[in-house]
Amino acid sequence: MKRPLMGRIWAVAVNTIRQALRMKIALIFIVLLLVLLPVLGLTATGDGTLKGRLQTFVSYGLSLTSLLLSLLTIIVSVYTITSDIEQRQIYTVATKPIRRYQLLLGKLLGVVVLNVALVTLFAGIVYGVVVFLPGFYDASEETLRQIDNEFYTARAGLVPAAPDVEEEVTDLYNRLERTGQLREAYPALPPDRILRELTLRKQLEKRATGVGDGLVWEFQNVRPLDPDQSIFIRFKYDVAVEPPNGLIYGRWQIGDMRQVRYGMDFKTPIWPEDRADPVRTFREIEVPARVIADDGYLAVGFLNVPANSTTVIFPIEDGLEILYKADTFTSNFIRGTLLILFRLIFLACLGLLAASFLSFPVAILFCLVIFFTGTVSGFVLESFEQLSASAWQVYSYTIGALVRLLPQFDKYNPTAFLVPGRLIAWSMLGRVLLLMVGIQAFVLLVLALIVFSFRELARIVI
Amino acid sequence: MDYAIETISLTKVFSDWWGRAKAYAVDDLNLQIRYNEVYGLLGPNGSGKTTTIKMLLGLLHPTKGHALLLGGDGTDPKINRRIGFLPEESYLYRFLNARETLDFYGRLFGLAPNVRKMRIEALLEMVGLRAVASRPVGMYSKGMARRIGLAQALINDPDLLILDEPTTGLDPIGTRQIKDLIIKLAERGKTILLCSHLLADVEDVCDRIAILYGGRIQAEGQVRELLQQSGRRQIVTSDVSDEAVNKIRGILESENAECEITSPMEKLETFFINTVVEAQQQARPTSGAVSTTQIGEFLMAEKSQAGILDKLVSAPVSEDKPAESPATQRIQPSEVPAPEPDRNLLGELTKSTPPAATEQVGPAKPAPSEVAEPQDRKVRQGVLDALTGKTPPATTERPHEGPKDEEAAHG
Repeated sequence: MKRPLMGRIWAVAVNTIRQALRMKIALIFIVLLLVLLPVLGLTATGDGTLKGRLQTFVSYGLSLTSLLLSLLTIIVSVYTITSDIEQRQIYTVATKPIRRYQLLLGKLLGVVVLNVALVTLFAGIVYGVVVFLPGFYDASEETLRQIDNEFYTARAGLVPAAPDVEEEVTDLYNRLERTGQLREAYPALPPDRILRELTLRKQLEKRATGVGDGLVWEFQNVRPLDPDQSIFIRFKYDVAVEPPNGLIYGRWQIGDMRQVRYGMDFKTPIWPEDRADPVRTFREIEVPARVIADDGYLAVGFLNVPANSTTVIFPIEDGLEILYKADTFTSNFIRGTLLILFRLIFLACLGLLAASFLSFPVAILFCLVIFFTGTVSGFVLESFEQLSASAWQVYSYTIGALVRLLPQFDKYNPTAFLVPGRLIAWSMLGRVLLLMVGIQAFVLLVLALIVFSFRELARIVI
Repeated sequence: MDYAIETISLTKVFSDWWGRAKAYAVDDLNLQIRYNEVYGLLGPNGSGKTTTIKMLLGLLHPTKGHALLLGGDGTDPKINRRIGFLPEESYLYRFLNARETLDFYGRLFGLAPNVRKMRIEALLEMVGLRAVASRPVGMYSKGMARRIGLAQALINDPDLLILDEPTTGLDPIGTRQIKDLIIKLAERGKTILLCSHLLADVEDVCDRIAILYGGRIQAEGQVRELLQQSGRRQIVTSDVSDEAVNKIRGILESENAECEITSPMEKLETFFINTVVEAQQQARPTSGAVSTTQIGEFLMAEKSQAGILDKLVSAPVSEDKPAESPATQRIQPSEVPAPEPDRNLLGELTKSTPPAATEQVGPAKPAPSEVAEPQDRKVRQGVLDALTGKTPPATTERPHEGPKDEEAAHG
């Protein structure tokens, strides 16, 4: 019983693939990508360096693949249902011994199989170009090493946890209120906004250090792939007073500070580094990975040396981060490809749902609106936070709630990870799989199955 | 009593956007179609024929009432497995070719690969599309699409065949072929619901008809009963002498009966078919369908025999079995006697002839010795016809066919 059932679903799937290929819908997109990807490989130069070239190509190549395949998925999944209904092949198909849900699952399977094949093909092309591109350039050892460290890698990033300032903020707020300075300092702001301002101020204080003073950040669970390689401290200075030559002098100490604090025997070295760096620019300190303690502990200390005459601030969002190679570029690239595939599966289910009750043009429009909302959802949600409290609440419970129901394509965009060589963690991939495919796509699919099973398939003709 | 199709006050009301009843497409319809009956549903355009069929098959939901197909629900796969359906137009996937189309529908029925392959070839042969089977269906003429539509309705060897306007777009030969097919299928115990407004089609093949108007049955009954003119008689004779005619006239006049004596006119259909067959025999090229009346053998098997037949045909055999080997060409029609001796001859033929590809004959036929008695004579008759390319003796038991049609069959 099981085999013939699968046989039927598979028959529908194969037919759907044939339809996509022979009706030339898929073909157009395939040809377009086959032409555009190599052209991009030649023309994408970025900032002119080899690394820039690679980054630009990966960024454009994958974005283009993802965009075109998204459009293709929407069109094919909508077309395969609506054309069957409008051209009435459904009369002969639905009256065969196949349940309607099997028919729909067959269509889905066809679209997904097609997508797997196309994503593999085009991601393969992008990967191939990225791997072989450096061979065409006379890159120096130094450049190659830099690319290896910063591009052909999957670096995990650790940022220090935000310090807990709630108590201090409450104290400060109460004090200001008692002394009547609150109205003075923050006229016309609602209390929750004032609290947010104060929290921000306090947190910034924790990331600032006066001349002769220092800061220490502690990290747990730093686990680089290869202990013989380097880890990187990526930081950016901000200053209260601009230094005359634009440089900040810093004394860094990186390692297991517990050994110093508790006077233990040194098992791992402490890495010292004195350096001068321009303000408001990202810089990286390369440190051998052996400074990390066996239990994954690492402390980073910064001393604001007296050569500076200003308070140094590490901005809250991106002031300091530890980067280390946690996986290879290849497996990271594969995970990035999977992210694209998850998105396509979601869109396929969306297309089937739309087609189960809408006609072709309307269904396409419906899907496109949702798709583009999904690609800007991060921006939309962020913009709500900038609104005042009362307006924010109105939006957040209406549009915001809707947007939050949709997948956040921009947040899980593979190029955002692959271009800076950031790790796409398996845990994140699993989360996206669960959310985008397991919950969101699944709900759409179930809805589609219900609608499709109970609707009248025949057009009403009297 | 069990019915193959039964509807109980089946009603379909089409309402407007506000839910107000607009039109009764089908109004309190009670159909009772018995097993092994050819039932014609007649009616002008918009009388509710197609809507009824769509409700039977679950493509539309009845507003009220029930429809039972083969004692069950028309959306139940168990029931669907036994139904063949040809919609009012052949809605096919334009990007598939004929063979792929049949393969797709065969897969939907879950047919085993060898059975599927055998049936596809037999059906392509039957509907005369074998030569163009690799052309996309989208490039077919309407009649050719109709033929492939019919083939898809037969691929599961259905017990119940629902045909909605099966002959639209077909040339007279195709029309004739479908009518013959319906008759033959009925002989094999199939039930057929034929829906048409082409009265001639219905009259030729149906046991019982209903005339639908405004979604209601206006008249129902046996074709013969409805049409027979009581109080009149017709005598048809072979070419007798004028003398004999005068004698008959004398007898009739003595009875005071009115009489009219003429030569019967040939039906245009028959004349047309004869003309085309002649042209085919001269092998004029055509890009269209090439008609044969070879009916897919699996369709000719009675239910109990289907298993055996399938097994036989699924045995590995070379695709194009002998057709016109020197041995077969030597056989003249006069040498083809009554069915009894044929059997031996056929046995020899199928065994001894070396493979030689021709276009006229489908896949290998089952070995005669293993087929049970009642229908095997027919099956083999078909094989023999194919092998010799000649008209068999007029002793066949096909009641609705005259010798002329037989000739048409083998052009």
